[in-house]
Amino acid sequence: MTEPIAPILHKVGNRRHEVVLAPDGGRDWRRGRVPLVGRHWLKWRGGYNPKTLARERRLADKRPLWWVMCLGTLLLAVPFLPDTLLQVAVVFCVFAAINVVWTLIIGAAGILSFATMAVVGLAAYAAAAANVFLGVPWPLMFPIGVMVGLLAGGLLALPSTRIDGLYYALLTIGVAEICRVSISQIRALAPANSSINNVGSFIPQDWYLQRPGLLLSFATSFVLLLGALLLFRLINSERLGLHLQTAREDEEFAEAVGIDYRRARLHVFLISSAALGFIGAYYAMLYRSISLNVFSLDQLLLMFAMIVIGGMGRAEGAVIGTAIVVVIDRALIDLGPLRIILIAAVMIAVTLTTHAGLADARRQFRAWRNRIRSERRAARTRKGGEVMPEEATEIADKQQIAYRRFDKRLRDRLKVLVTPELIAEHAGAPLGPHSDALARVLNYFRRADVTDKYVILQDGPGGDWRYSVMALSGEAGKPPRVVDDRTYATRDEAYHAVFLLRVNDLLES
Amino acid sequence: MDATLIVYALNLSAIYALMAIGISLLWSSIGMLNMAHGATFAVAGYGVLVIGDALLPLIDPMLKGSALLPFARMAVLMAAGVGVGALFGALIYLLAFLPIHDKANFAVRGLIVTLAINLATVQALLWWFGPRQRALPNVFGFGRLEVFGVPVRYDQAVTISATVLLLGAVLAWLRLSRKGLEIRAMMQNPEGAALSGISVRRTALPVMAVTGAMAGAAAVLLSQTVFVSPGAGAMPLIKGMIIALLGGLGSVPGAAVAALLIGGLEAATGAIPFLGQRMVLLVQFGFIILVLIIRPRGIGGLLDETRK
Repeated sequence: MTEPIAPILHKVGNRRHEVVLAPDGGRDWRRGRVPLVGRHWLKWRGGYNPKTLARERRLADKRPLWWVMCLGTLLLAVPFLPDTLLQVAVVFCVFAAINVVWTLIIGAAGILSFATMAVVGLAAYAAAAANVFLGVPWPLMFPIGVMVGLLAGGLLALPSTRIDGLYYALLTIGVAEICRVSISQIRALAPANSSINNVGSFIPQDWYLQRPGLLLSFATSFVLLLGALLLFRLINSERLGLHLQTAREDEEFAEAVGIDYRRARLHVFLISSAALGFIGAYYAMLYRSISLNVFSLDQLLLMFAMIVIGGMGRAEGAVIGTAIVVVIDRALIDLGPLRIILIAAVMIAVTLTTHAGLADARRQFRAWRNRIRSERRAARTRKGGEVMPEEATEIADKQQIAYRRFDKRLRDRLKVLVTPELIAEHAGAPLGPHSDALARVLNYFRRADVTDKYVILQDGPGGDWRYSVMALSGEAGKPPRVVDDRTYATRDEAYHAVFLLRVNDLLES
Repeated sequence: MDATLIVYALNLSAIYALMAIGISLLWSSIGMLNMAHGATFAVAGYGVLVIGDALLPLIDPMLKGSALLPFARMAVLMAAGVGVGALFGALIYLLAFLPIHDKANFAVRGLIVTLAINLATVQALLWWFGPRQRALPNVFGFGRLEVFGVPVRYDQAVTISATVLLLGAVLAWLRLSRKGLEIRAMMQNPEGAALSGISVRRTALPVMAVTGAMAGAAAVLLSQTVFVSPGAGAMPLIKGMIIALLGGLGSVPGAAVAALLIGGLEAATGAIPFLGQRMVLLVQFGFIILVLIIRPRGIGGLLDETRK
């Protein structure tokens, strides 16, 4: 007796190496949800293996894993870093938070605004002044920062509706400079070179610049980054962001459907400005001081370099770009002005090669690769109906693939048989004895599908027959269609005409 | 308000006009916003410094004592500035225009690449020449001459007359030469120009060289009164940008009118004791925002068609 052979399961298809989990098909389905919100944690998609019929599930969206991996590595590595690198990590978290909110303004709201550092600086100055000159306790600096950010955002939003995109962008570059000049005019700050020092903070005075203070700074700035990412998610993937996405794709459609995208843009801008105000107050507390350096054009251009390198419009882009630039700027400080040249070189390289920054590079590469593949496929000899390997995995009924291949080979052999002599032979005796070659060709034609099969119409008053060629529709109740307007006097001519049409179709296929 | 104020305003307007018209010309002909204009300004300043140090000691003994000496020195410096500016414009063409002008997202990507070039150039100048400010050789001295009873400083007179001559030359080139005709065709309708056989690549190079040369000339003229430093290009770039905006980004006459307005405004603001020199930028910005709110396409929207 033969032993049953265990089936060998080869990996086929486009995504062969994806991790596929095999849950127990007998149990009830359960999926965890985020409490209070009702969203799922991860995007699981279930299905059945077509060969073994076992239950499978795979992760459709792997980005949460990437986030957890990268941010988790940062969090785990930080306690072991020396002080200098710890400061770099703190700067990274703060700037990444600012850039994520900036990406919200540029990507979701679609307003190219360079006034982010101006808002951050104004809120920082206001909060620090309230704490130092008005004696406000440091926890209240946060709401003050938020309110000042909101106010500044409101003032900046006023011209944005009326002034066009690029004009508005170039105008906002000057806003930071105006803030700097205005604040440098305030006489009360003049003795300290227009900076405010000894600001109250969540870092105790004796911890400041010591290891515990640095660790506390990092912990709070990491929480700030997570908060900024949460804000991005809440706005971008919820109602406001989806309205704005519709408007980005088709403005007239959005308006017709009733989406007030101008108001949505304004709301996103105001919320982002409030968030920037919060970050500004945090910034003042982190360094326990605030100076005019926050408004410097060089810093603004460096932040712009961060989001450009990463990719404008995606939160991953903001974080990746910030990481690259902060590492080059702060960790390689020995290079001097050369590091800015390096950053500019990276910026130029990324802009010249990618359409939308590093974060989008994978999608761009895949689109290019698919295009090259389809060009190569078209350039190879035409297969004339035979199924390509990558198509074959998608067709469920494998018998169809075999039939198509058989049909193609048969047609290739018949094309060789069709000669002018064969056609003349049929013209002489359409129904009469046929040679072997003609018989094979005619047998193939007779096996054709009913749809578009040529038939002869015999028409006219009795005795005076006219013959013309029609084609069957293949659908019950639908009449055949007229092929052309030629009529034939004898039936043999009509037979030959049909034969010629079928030969033509064969040679063209 | 006396006439010296008007001369001062004209002086400022002349320099701003050189920068702003260059930016406007570039945007309207090839659709690229050149943020590296400030870098061109700074590089030209340093180029003039280096070439002036090399060539001026050769000229001085030849024309010593003659009245032509200042003009000859000015001509050498101007030629150096224009040449270095044009070369840098060609460099920007190679880096920022050629690789991406026919690809996706060109306007934004061109802006980003020119911004990066600006960053890199300023840092390179800082690294090579050091952060100290340097002074260009003062060509005409500090004397004054009388024009219709108004006292005008020599360098102001040179600035205004040189700008008028230069802009006149550029306009004449645009109107009369073959290349100028092709550039004007591209400004009106880029697709139509391409269909008529005007190559975008071949036309963009002269435009960028000419606008670079204009920035170089502005550097030479401004450096008579202001020092040359790596960051010297930042303020002329911002002022040039916002004047080009005010004039309507694609409109060259608009940019000229806007330069006159802004120069006049700056002079007036400086003279009013209540405001003073410190509030100049604020007042200028306020004025521009006001005009743009009323007229979102800038002054040029009144004068002629602008590229969007």
